[in-house]
Amino acid sequence: MNANDTVAPILSARGLHHSFGQTEALRGIDLDVHAGEVLAVMGPSGSGKSTLLHCLAGVLVPDGGSVTYRPAGRAPVETSALKEPKRARLRLTDFGFVFQFGQLLPELTAADNVSIPLLLAGTRRPEALRRSRELLERLGLEGLGAKLPGELSGGQAQRVAVARALVTSPAVLFADEPTGSLDSLASENVLTLMLELVREAGTTVVIITHDARTAAYADREVIVRDGAVGASYRVSA
Amino acid sequence: MNPGLLKLAVVGSRSAYGRLAGIAGGVAAGVCLLLLLWGGANGLSARDDRGSWLRETGRPSVAASPTEDPTTSGPGTPVPLTTDTVLMEANPVEVFRDQLINRRDVAAFSTTTVKIPGIVTPPEPGRYYASPALQRLIASTPRDELGDRFGTFAGTIDDNALPGPDSLIVVTGATEAELRQNGRAVLVSDFTTNPYGGSTAAYNTVLSIGAIAVFFPVLLLISIVTGLGAAQRRERFATLRLIGASPQVVSRIAAVETAVPSLIGALLGVVLAIALRPAAAQIPVNDTRMFTADLVTGWAAAAAIVALVVSASALVAAHRTARAGIGPLGVTRAVHEKTPTKWRIVPLLAGLAAMTSAIAITCTPHLRSPWLEMPLLIGGFALILVGIVVVGPWLTRLVSGMGLRQARSAAGVIAASRIQRTPVATFRSVSGLVIAVFVVSVFAGASSIIESTEAPPARPGLLQPTSLHATVGAGHTPAQVSSAARQARGLPGIRSATIGYGPAALSTRDASPEIYLRAADAPALGFQDIPATEIVTVDTSFLYSWTTQPRALTPAPAANLDEMVPVVIVLGTDGTPEAIDRARTLLNSSGVTAHPAATSRDTGLQSSTRLIQGLAVLAYLGMFVAVAIAGLSLAVSTAAAILDRKRVLGLMRLMGMPVSVLRRIITLEAAVPLLSVLLLSVGLGFLVAWLMVTGINDSYRMTWPAPDYFTALGLSLLLAIGAVTATFSLIRGTTAMTTTRFE
Repeated sequence: MNANDTVAPILSARGLHHSFGQTEALRGIDLDVHAGEVLAVMGPSGSGKSTLLHCLAGVLVPDGGSVTYRPAGRAPVETSALKEPKRARLRLTDFGFVFQFGQLLPELTAADNVSIPLLLAGTRRPEALRRSRELLERLGLEGLGAKLPGELSGGQAQRVAVARALVTSPAVLFADEPTGSLDSLASENVLTLMLELVREAGTTVVIITHDARTAAYADREVIVRDGAVGASYRVSA
Repeated sequence: MNPGLLKLAVVGSRSAYGRLAGIAGGVAAGVCLLLLLWGGANGLSARDDRGSWLRETGRPSVAASPTEDPTTSGPGTPVPLTTDTVLMEANPVEVFRDQLINRRDVAAFSTTTVKIPGIVTPPEPGRYYASPALQRLIASTPRDELGDRFGTFAGTIDDNALPGPDSLIVVTGATEAELRQNGRAVLVSDFTTNPYGGSTAAYNTVLSIGAIAVFFPVLLLISIVTGLGAAQRRERFATLRLIGASPQVVSRIAAVETAVPSLIGALLGVVLAIALRPAAAQIPVNDTRMFTADLVTGWAAAAAIVALVVSASALVAAHRTARAGIGPLGVTRAVHEKTPTKWRIVPLLAGLAAMTSAIAITCTPHLRSPWLEMPLLIGGFALILVGIVVVGPWLTRLVSGMGLRQARSAAGVIAASRIQRTPVATFRSVSGLVIAVFVVSVFAGASSIIESTEAPPARPGLLQPTSLHATVGAGHTPAQVSSAARQARGLPGIRSATIGYGPAALSTRDASPEIYLRAADAPALGFQDIPATEIVTVDTSFLYSWTTQPRALTPAPAANLDEMVPVVIVLGTDGTPEAIDRARTLLNSSGVTAHPAATSRDTGLQSSTRLIQGLAVLAYLGMFVAVAIAGLSLAVSTAAAILDRKRVLGLMRLMGMPVSVLRRIITLEAAVPLLSVLLLSVGLGFLVAWLMVTGINDSYRMTWPAPDYFTALGLSLLLAIGAVTATFSLIRGTTAMTTTRFE
């Protein structure tokens, strides 16, 4: 029994069903994600991992079942019942996202890319840029704030994406194959820095991965197969 | 080239089909417009050629007699009419309901060898040939308002002598004596085939500049649509490079995959042009629609346009692909545009220099030569058009740099950054509209040289706008003129018939500068302060349409009207078109007038301003075409900008960016380059218009543009807003979660 198991989870999925045309991607998934934990979702291609992440994050509304988000100090929200504008607001203020590739706006400098979520949330630009640069420094990108994504290495660009995901201090970080396009050294670097920051901030992380080495950084792993959770177990430290 | 490979490159996804459809549709619209415009330009030329005979000025029918005093000439000796000449008088003001009728009065021997265009033999006295449009008008109008002016219908003028189906032309037969009466008739042995007389070079210059101005936006449209989906194509080509295709093969595939939809679009454009030709012919230019046959370009021209558009788009696609440097690892790094530099201003300055040189040459008599001035004007104009497109990205980058420093919102930062990094691509989106505004400003500036033809308002001391006057020919007795006046008074809508007198007919050398009137008739002419004498005088300028200052009556105690001759007859009407035309018909068919009857408004329908007015109609037509195409281009390129970034924009939405922010980004990306160059376009447009009109004729003066200009400007901005907002639904669709998920 873990201490987390005694408190209400920050995210709960119950009976999630979702289909794309005739293809059933999720078949009644139940899953709890606890505050502050790093959860790795593994499984083969086409197993429904990304669909599960999108449903948890309020990107997709499941065809059946529900997703409940319990933010600290606020009333629980059934995200699957919200309209898109409210879900978009929630994603902006409470969630952060890191994807495998192609997520940075190519014409914006690294600092501007990181500052966008803050600007969207209403922060003034000088303050947004200051916080962006600060975060970039913490991720080992000092002096690269003025560079364009095309001028950065893959690992550097991915760290910029991590900075952008964390700049608003989200409650939950969703990462979909965040190191899928990186070599092992760069992967390790990105994951180490990202997890250092999230653990320090107490941020919950849901990370989708194929890679067992990446999953090893998590507190817990769930295996998704054919749209259902096949197994769930804690990762030994 | 391997057909399987080509198929993989050309089609392969739904978005590829969409892109191909977009290219085909855009090229179809462009080719259709090109063919219609080409047809229109040819049609105008053909139309002017057919109407050239109406510009025949002939040679004098009177040979001047030498006198001992070198400053004067004698009464002149009539040059005899022969079988190889016709005596002709061009009636300058034959008007019906504010429409000018081209009237030629002719006298000829029945054995004459002169061929009047459009009719078999010259009409006998009292008979007339009319264009079909005029004959329809005559048939549908009471004879005392129109038909009585011409006599008996002899036949219609053939279409091959008519500018257009609505042309109002009449050739009336008269006796030699009638035509020789006022000395204005000329002898014609052959009708000219030069439609513009001495204005040919100016007319050709204006047409060339107009054609460049209208064709340029069409070419921009075609260029924009063939660049649709460039980002997706780069990804596809990168895949081909990865599996072994060489850069040359990829360039060839790019050429073919653009050529195929371009060919389909171009052929569709030809079909569209054929289908739309009858509708396009209905657009009136210079008071008449066109014959549909005038817009026919011929298969050779259509084939040339199709071949040109397809090969140009294929070559450009191949060049763009080769230049993009797509490697086997795909587009892992963004390909940045070269930063535009200040040198981009050179073509614009060169164009301005060329046009200024043309003016300098115009002002230097010993250097003047149309072979030097016209190429400089036309070449300079074309260079300025190219110069605006070339300098636009540099200006856009300057402005966006300032904008980026000041940006406070996410939309502002994203839009300004994109413009800063890709000023050429973002400016390309609005280049059509910027060019359209420039063209519109040129047209409006050039059109402003047309003087106002508004008649002066009705005031005492000025000829009333509701009255007609006609000068009386020499030799007519007071009884004949009084009879005509009496007849007029009996017609419905005619309120007064006043006869003015003088010592001699106004067309003779002994004419007085004053007209004598019975004081009792003066109120009918609108005078209020009438001297208490029986006879009064007024300056002859009272009759001129350009007189704007009231003329006063002065007493003429010594005058005796019985010893004078009638010199003018003025009919006052109730102002209805029927009454005015009835009065005009009566006077013109009375046989006592030296000149056709005219109202003060009629001057505006004739004179040299008609050519310019005709060009103004073309100019506004050009405006409409240029602005419409530009709106289409903006919509297409805005859509392309969204499609090219749909993954990254979709991810931004996924991360919580509201659609409204995406809309603001797209709007700003169109607004910044547009507004950056718009003012320059307007200013340059008027500068070029001034250079152009001064270059053609230094007596022209530009004034404020007509209200139509501001309407066109407003329309352009509305169109820009419409074009951008039309893509809003595309933003929502292409960046939707389900779409982004599968990218």
